Amino acid sequence: MKIAPKYLWAALVCAVLAHALVILATPLVLMNVAMSRVSEGSYNHWRLAPRVTEASRTIVRPSPDFAYSACVYDLAAGPVVIRTAPWDAYWSLSLYADNSDNFYVIGDREARPGADITLTRDARVEDAANAVRSPSRRGIALIRRLAPTPEAYAAVARIADEDVCATLAHTAR
Amino acid sequence: MMRRVLAWAGAILIGLSLGAASAWAVLDFGRASFSESYGGWTHSHAAGSAAAGPYTRAIIAREGLLALSAREALYFTIGVDDQGRPLQEACVYELTGRELDARWWSVTLYAGDSFLARNGDHAASIDASRTRAGADGVWRARVAPVRGDALHWISSRAAGRDFTLTLRVYNPMREFRPSAEMLPVLRVISCAGASA
Repeated sequence: MKIAPKYLWAALVCAVLAHALVILATPLVLMNVAMSRVSEGSYNHWRLAPRVTEASRTIVRPSPDFAYSACVYDLAAGPVVIRTAPWDAYWSLSLYADNSDNFYVIGDREARPGADITLTRDARVEDAANAVRSPSRRGIALIRRLAPTPEAYAAVARIADEDVCATLAHTAR
Repeated sequence: MMRRVLAWAGAILIGLSLGAASAWAVLDFGRASFSESYGGWTHSHAAGSAAAGPYTRAIIAREGLLALSAREALYFTIGVDDQGRPLQEACVYELTGRELDARWWSVTLYAGDSFLARNGDHAASIDASRTRAGADGVWRARVAPVRGDALHWISSRAAGRDFTLTLRVYNPMREFRPSAEMLPVLRVISCAGASA
């Protein structure tokens, strides 16, 4: 059976397009799923995840030794202030763009009293000392605090209310 | 007319399927390029890496979404015993190791579905802050469905077959150089219904 070249070309063009689409869309889709799971429709607001147990089924390979707080930020209404309350064991704040890039990380080795940054689309227009430019309008901020025991997790729960993830307009500095 | 429509539809469908399948295959194949092995442990550079291009970014997103950068943490996973057999609940293992050049470490057991095993034992992991080494500087942990007389225990009850252990090394020192000799060693002690 002879196949007309136009059908082969059509299949080839579709194959190239589908290949590129899967490669480009994979990080965006996975991050969008993560953002919608974490935010539950609410942006610029920290959520302390329940202590990781065998019932935790949201994100694969969770570590039972950490307390996780996550904030899905949205810069549509302007810069977002992110502050973390002090924690006397290991902690880190990681920022992820909507394409999954981990574009910023800070921990207790650099900021013992906690992080205090202003997230913006254009770092030049903000306070240069603590402005961090986000490559995307939306993304995820994630705090990991070492809390390997139920008592340590309870201590995190007591200070987590002091964490800030809010638009600059809603934050008194 | 109908034959021509079917031919176009077939060409488009075949093209889309081949394109999507080839992309998925590239991501699977590319995963290996990010992996290094130390004994039975596998370490992936993908987790927490900065993307250099669309392929790298897609591989990282699949392998280590929301993972920490290598400066903050290194992840190692083992899924076979010292005889190369997949880990299974029916066996008893001993995990031994020394202090690592890092601020903190932990070892966590994940069932085949990549979640903690549903066993109610509250013994899914051990970590540097709760593990005591003997006079020889070596700590020992039992990986088994029951604790027995073990000082340190990781429960594999309800983990089934093909479970894995993940070693997380936080704030590794500048001199931290992973090797089969430096990382913990997993040995099979016995298996139900067979001699180890």
